[in-house]
Amino acid sequence: MESPAAHNDVLQLAAQLEGLRLRFSSRDTLLFDGVSLRIPRGQKVLLLGPSGCGKSTLLKVLTGLIPEAIELPVEWELRKPLESGGYVFQDPDAQFCMPYVDEEIAFVLENMGVPRSDMPERIRYYLRRVGLAFEDPHRPISTLSQGQKQRLALASALALEPETLVLDEPTALLDPKGTTEIWEHVRTLGRDKTLLIVEHKIAEIVDFVDRVLVIDQEGSLVADGGPEEVQKNHRSLLDRYGIWHADSWAVHDQQYEVAQLSQKNPANTDLPPLLEIDQLKGFYEDEACINMPEVQVHEGEWITVTGPNGAGKSTLLQALMKLIPTKGMSHWKGEAIKNTEQLASEVGFVFQNPELQFVAQTVYEEVAFTLWQKNISEQQVDSEVQRVLKQFGLTEFEDENPYRLSTGQQRRLSVASALVTDRELLLLDEPTFGQDAGNTFAILEELERYRKAGTSLLMVTHDPEIVRRYATRVWEIEDGELKADYAGERVGEQNTGVGHAV
Amino acid sequence: MKNRFKLKLSDILVTTVVALVFGVIYKLWGPLYYAIKPLGMHLEQLIYGMWFIAATVAFLLIRKPGVGLLAEIAAASGEFFMGSEWGLAVLLSGVAQGLAAELVFAAVGYRKYSVSVAVAAAAAATVGSLLLDSLQGYIGDLALWNLSLLIVFRLTGAVIIAGWMAHWLVSALEDTGVAELVRPVGTATVDPD
Amino acid sequence: MLYKKKYSSWLHRINPALKLVLLMGGIIAVLFIHNVNVMIPLVAALAGMLLIGSGQPIGRVLLFMLPFLFVFVSTGSSMILFGKGETLWWQWGPAVISRESFYRGVHIGLRALSFGLIGLLFALTTRPVLLFYSLMQQFRLPPRYAYGFMASLRLLPLILEEFKTLQKAYKVRGVDSVKGWKGWWQKLRLYAIPLLAQSIRRAQRIAVAMEARRFNKSIQRTYYYRPGFSSEDGLMVICWVGIFAGAWIVGVQWPLFEITDVRFNE
Repeated sequence: MESPAAHNDVLQLAAQLEGLRLRFSSRDTLLFDGVSLRIPRGQKVLLLGPSGCGKSTLLKVLTGLIPEAIELPVEWELRKPLESGGYVFQDPDAQFCMPYVDEEIAFVLENMGVPRSDMPERIRYYLRRVGLAFEDPHRPISTLSQGQKQRLALASALALEPETLVLDEPTALLDPKGTTEIWEHVRTLGRDKTLLIVEHKIAEIVDFVDRVLVIDQEGSLVADGGPEEVQKNHRSLLDRYGIWHADSWAVHDQQYEVAQLSQKNPANTDLPPLLEIDQLKGFYEDEACINMPEVQVHEGEWITVTGPNGAGKSTLLQALMKLIPTKGMSHWKGEAIKNTEQLASEVGFVFQNPELQFVAQTVYEEVAFTLWQKNISEQQVDSEVQRVLKQFGLTEFEDENPYRLSTGQQRRLSVASALVTDRELLLLDEPTFGQDAGNTFAILEELERYRKAGTSLLMVTHDPEIVRRYATRVWEIEDGELKADYAGERVGEQNTGVGHAV
Repeated sequence: MKNRFKLKLSDILVTTVVALVFGVIYKLWGPLYYAIKPLGMHLEQLIYGMWFIAATVAFLLIRKPGVGLLAEIAAASGEFFMGSEWGLAVLLSGVAQGLAAELVFAAVGYRKYSVSVAVAAAAAATVGSLLLDSLQGYIGDLALWNLSLLIVFRLTGAVIIAGWMAHWLVSALEDTGVAELVRPVGTATVDPD
Repeated sequence: MLYKKKYSSWLHRINPALKLVLLMGGIIAVLFIHNVNVMIPLVAALAGMLLIGSGQPIGRVLLFMLPFLFVFVSTGSSMILFGKGETLWWQWGPAVISRESFYRGVHIGLRALSFGLIGLLFALTTRPVLLFYSLMQQFRLPPRYAYGFMASLRLLPLILEEFKTLQKAYKVRGVDSVKGWKGWWQKLRLYAIPLLAQSIRRAQRIAVAMEARRFNKSIQRTYYYRPGFSSEDGLMVICWVGIFAGAWIVGVQWPLFEITDVRFNE
């Protein structure tokens, strides 16, 4: 017989799991083999682990989505799923089913059986709570920023009036501003709720949680404790799993030495500039979205392009590459740029989503593809491909389909295939976005190596830490204009970020 | 086992999304079809089979009953809402072609996913479309040589596009790993065999 | 999508499910009209209804009607040239124009035109979301089909965006250098696979998100939009039946041609 105290204990639990065993039907090995977990009501739990360790899967088992919505071979000795959980997922574009903001929240209210007459008021109420007080909530979701979309997802979760909020990497695809806004709202809204959070960037949330769980590559719980305790005693684990914590960059600074550049401008200004821009305008759907004054890019520069969402940073890269209609002049090594083909062999371009630029069916061919376009022997191609795969840590995957790689590996592959031939200029659209710390550092290290060898880099990024450490020059873009152009902090002592406005 | 054949929300969503991608192609196919048509000799019939491909791709991908029909109707609705030249009649075509293809999938017990099943379904869809055409376009009243040409060309195109090419597309999708996400787990147990 | 939010007319306010049934009924009715004299006033009436009743600027409607004329000519011509017939009018090689095939060809052309017009009438005046709400409430369409459709329609613009990105990426990587059949084949894979793979994954995630919002646990579903019926719907029924009945009367009473059945079977 259970003691009354133990019974009481169970009542106090928001969720319980004993002896969970689970595997993906396409794999031969078990993701979880005997995991047990108890989550008391009101506890705020942060789940950490390397990518692919099954954190999200564990959340889905705890909420009952596995096996109700997703069928997987799974069994347990005992499971008490969360009775009511409001869920926010990672991808802002893959969690809504209706085209308009009001309709999306109405969808939740419909599921709950809320009377029609109460809906408009409730919709406004939930939107207000996440700071989306639109005058008319009947507005297309597609007009919202990614950060606003995630807050809308939070509002839909709240509309379930849940006891628990479940957040599955809600900020992975957000810029720093969007990230801060989400966590601000979670802090107020989640105060009296149970909270289950999976995250890669923990600095802004870790002090709010009561408990941190760390899962390792094999799907076992390797650490379980208060946030201070885990951060203090298991720091090396966090670093090994690439989790962004408050001191990640300090760890980076110990491991990687980014050379301070003594000259005012590291670029060899004696040589003629690689790229000259003169009043270049880029158009998107007949509207001028970027307007560049007269600027030059020299050999060996690492220019970071920064600015708020929608400022025109990506448009700038596309305009330079002539991927969108442009007006004005730009020159590549003294020659007027007329089309993309003219640049394609000397200038590389890395897009944001690697899956939308893969051309081959294996990792090897993906890298080799770039070389096949040049007239070189197959032997030479092979040795070059092997060299680059090794350099980017992809050798063991050479026969894999690029789609089967993790997002981090995909990102490295897209950079690798752009860099396999000697580029003089590489344009990168947020190459470290959404990446864990380990992968980010690895990509930056490779880029710096190429920069030293003379490749110029023009890179869009939101991360001020990267700008501070790596940029030799910074372009700030706002409302489609170049607002400022100054030397990076790593260049000389006299230039500590105080630049000149254009 | 009993749930193996029931369509879940995710099956429906994946089917309709795949179908809508093909719906866009269906819509673009209309002008192409009419561009070829003036060449005469029913050459345009060789590309007619593209309008059957949603059914075979969806079935080969998701492997459940009903998805072939659902995909064909969804693709036709998508084509319709984008302003098809055939207007609401595409929905009738969608139903006729989807039903015909679905009959083939049912005949193999929804357990075979080979090229031959895809080819048979494409041929069945051709028959379905011809039946509707005899009602709608009096094709039975074409001169015999002309009608034979139409049937042979349409069938050939269908077998190549909606049969063989559909199968090839799904194999390429299998290589990317996404097919595993959408197929029924069936009797798989936690302990691998 | 043909539907645009900014236009509105009484046809927009008709119950969408009713509109679908009426218009589909119209199409099936057309399949049983074999008298070319009836088709002519019918097509005229449908065109009139579209121009007056769609709430759109006439220019926009005419623009959409343009391809139909092409379809009319194209659909009709093969029957005119290669159809069976007894009374020969003209012959050139395999092409034979007979009296029978000519009228049958014109009839088929008009039929295609009427399908197109009826389709436009629906697509220009119906918001897909409201159609699915109406189908759920008036015809008990299971919600998982209705919401599944609505969710996938939302993905279309994203797919289009990805298509454009792919185009740019392939341009940068110098993909479109291969010409001919092999190039066509390669291109098919290069566009179809990423677009399908992305869409499938996204669809899967959306389905999970919908279930996380207790879609399947709904016991007593309520509806945000409740398309009902009003006197305008009655007017629509009368109007629609009237168009077909009127065309029939006009065609039978005042025939333009002496032919009453283009099948010439009897």
